[in-house]
Amino acid sequence: MDAFYASVEQNDHPEYRGLPVIVGGASGKRGVVSACSYEARKFGIHSAMPATWAKRLCPHAIFVPVNMKRYQEVSRVIMNIFDDFTPEKIQISVDEAFLDMSGTERLFGPPEKTALLLKERVKTATGLTLSVGIAHNHLLAKLASDFDKPDGLVFVRKGEELAFLDRIDLKDIWGLGKKTLETLNAFNITTVKQLRETDISMLQKITGKAAGDFLYKASRGIDPGIHSERVKNRSISSEVTFEEDTRNIEGLHKTLLHLADQIMFRMLEQGYIGKTVFIKLRYSDFTTFTARQTLKHPLRSEEEIHRVALDLLKKKWDNHSLIRLIGLGVSSLEKKDSHQQIELFSDAADQHSKVENAVQIIRSKGRNIKKASLIPPHKNGL
Amino acid sequence: MKFTCNKDLIIKEISIAQEIISSRNSISILSNVLLEADNNTLTIRATDLKVGFETKIPVEVAQSGSTTVFCDKFLSILRSLPDGDIEFSQKDDNRFIINPLFNKIDFQLKSINADKFPEIQDISDDNYFQLPQKELMDMIGQTVFAVSDDETRYYMNGVYLEHEDNTLSMVATDGRRLSFIKTIFDEENINFDPVIVPTKILHLVKKLSSGEGIIALAVTDNNIFVKFDNQKLSSNLIKGQFPNYKRVIPESQEYEVRINRLQVMEALKRVSLLVEQKSRRIFLNFIENSLIINSEESELGVAKEELECSFTGPETSIALNYQYLLDPLKVIDDEEVLIRFSGANKAITIVPTSEKDLFHIVMPMQLD
Repeated sequence: MDAFYASVEQNDHPEYRGLPVIVGGASGKRGVVSACSYEARKFGIHSAMPATWAKRLCPHAIFVPVNMKRYQEVSRVIMNIFDDFTPEKIQISVDEAFLDMSGTERLFGPPEKTALLLKERVKTATGLTLSVGIAHNHLLAKLASDFDKPDGLVFVRKGEELAFLDRIDLKDIWGLGKKTLETLNAFNITTVKQLRETDISMLQKITGKAAGDFLYKASRGIDPGIHSERVKNRSISSEVTFEEDTRNIEGLHKTLLHLADQIMFRMLEQGYIGKTVFIKLRYSDFTTFTARQTLKHPLRSEEEIHRVALDLLKKKWDNHSLIRLIGLGVSSLEKKDSHQQIELFSDAADQHSKVENAVQIIRSKGRNIKKASLIPPHKNGL
Repeated sequence: MKFTCNKDLIIKEISIAQEIISSRNSISILSNVLLEADNNTLTIRATDLKVGFETKIPVEVAQSGSTTVFCDKFLSILRSLPDGDIEFSQKDDNRFIINPLFNKIDFQLKSINADKFPEIQDISDDNYFQLPQKELMDMIGQTVFAVSDDETRYYMNGVYLEHEDNTLSMVATDGRRLSFIKTIFDEENINFDPVIVPTKILHLVKKLSSGEGIIALAVTDNNIFVKFDNQKLSSNLIKGQFPNYKRVIPESQEYEVRINRLQVMEALKRVSLLVEQKSRRIFLNFIENSLIINSEESELGVAKEELECSFTGPETSIALNYQYLLDPLKVIDDEEVLIRFSGANKAITIVPTSEKDLFHIVMPMQLD
């Protein structure tokens, strides 16, 4: 999808259309940009940028809070459309998916035609545009989809892989991080072509064995397998940057509960289970720490996530340093499958889990239902 | 302090002491073993503050006294020495001297005064009750493997020991399977509330017991004490609420199959080679007069084995973790076992064909 969160906002609020919209950091004070519209990008704003900078770059931008629930709702509509095209869908984020269209030519016609049909159906259903990349592997398809945003359609045919890759900036090679890019630049490798002409043993020497192998393959258009179904370490996480740095323990506990709530529901909604809880703490001086704990059994309720998070906070934090940002997540996620072990005893966690499943069903019908402790106190007191 | 003792005799006990002492990394009094020589007896003590161990061995004491030394090093030194008698002595300046007789070997190990050594819980003799060692070993063996190693379910990290009317039972569960064994127990003066016993002491008892003679137990609210041969072990108990296990014991099950135990085990071992090792899911398919065990079709392939068994009834498929089947089959020592079940998502029970009062319950996994 193109600038997904911002596009949803613009679509839901016609008055935002054509204007620079920034999702996240709504107060304009603290927090970071989660997403921004193409209009905002013209000002040099990009996601993960502190909201204060964005404000400076574009003072008249419209700041809106992240409405994850709404984006997920739209995402579901889109993913359902994708499902109509192929059962072989790998969703890699709220607004990205790989569709394996092998053998569907007789149903939908040639690839470009299918892609246009797909774009049209999504546009009709949601009013949103998306960019499609067509290629014979995940790596090339992803690069192709990013190549001509927004509303793009790029088809990389067999035999054209190298020519296509040479038109891509080195920094845009998927899976190539900032650090690796710097390393490569330091060795005068600044284009995909140069990367391809570099000996694999040389690449492995400068970037490490696995990364070297990855780059060698990627520069040749061979899928190194980053987003095949076997992707191992998926995680769901959420974080909050406080308006003001804090050491208020009750506030932190409540924030963690709030985050646990969000995470558990995203896990339920997307059908994941996980055993590892991690927290992230960023102090006033921007030093950042993470801590994790892996349980022997899958996390069953937000209460459980919250409890582990509190343990981790207790271990990691000195109860004194001012905290700027706190994050919580569950990693090593796996698709909840049918062959689950049945339990002998139903305990408190099972009860919580049942309640949360029920709440999840209610929420998915668009009702607002939340824990009493997560309702902000009444302004004038109760 | 000065005493002489044979290497083989002391090394056996010191290696047990080292097993009790868990933290090898930090050097403190808890990494030390206590040695007390008196009356031609050497008393050896070790503890990790949870489990305590005491044993007595006959030695030749020239001068009585006591000390403590770093157990890990002491054991390594003993292992390195030639066979034969060794003379041990304590010097005033906190040095423990190890001199093998007829050798020019001299080890001086730093020692810590014995009065720094933590007290090991003890209890008077009249609190003990007795059981044949073999019986207790059997009870431990039938249950201890089933406990949970999930620390967040700490109340399942031990074996539940319950004295009810004139029976003594042990129960262990990890929440997915449960093992139970009961024995007759008619010591009238002994009464205690059910307790959760940590596995460490049970494994130790099982390892150290000769399996012959009598073993004595005492249970208080906080500790369990075990005495056998010339050894004493004690452990604190796990505080917590053991799950209401009686509620999950099936009252009656619809089908019962009699089957050769070793044949099932062998088949499980073979078929499990192609089972996905994370879920360990295997399928049992009961059809008229036979049991088909098969794996799921995977990237690796698929395996299937058919066994004869006494089954009459409608075809039934049950999916479960094969380890949960293998564990109880390993510890039941009858030639044949009975497998009882009611349907796909209901508990199955494995019981011996002999008259023993024990069973193993396994919860299945969901079928697709």
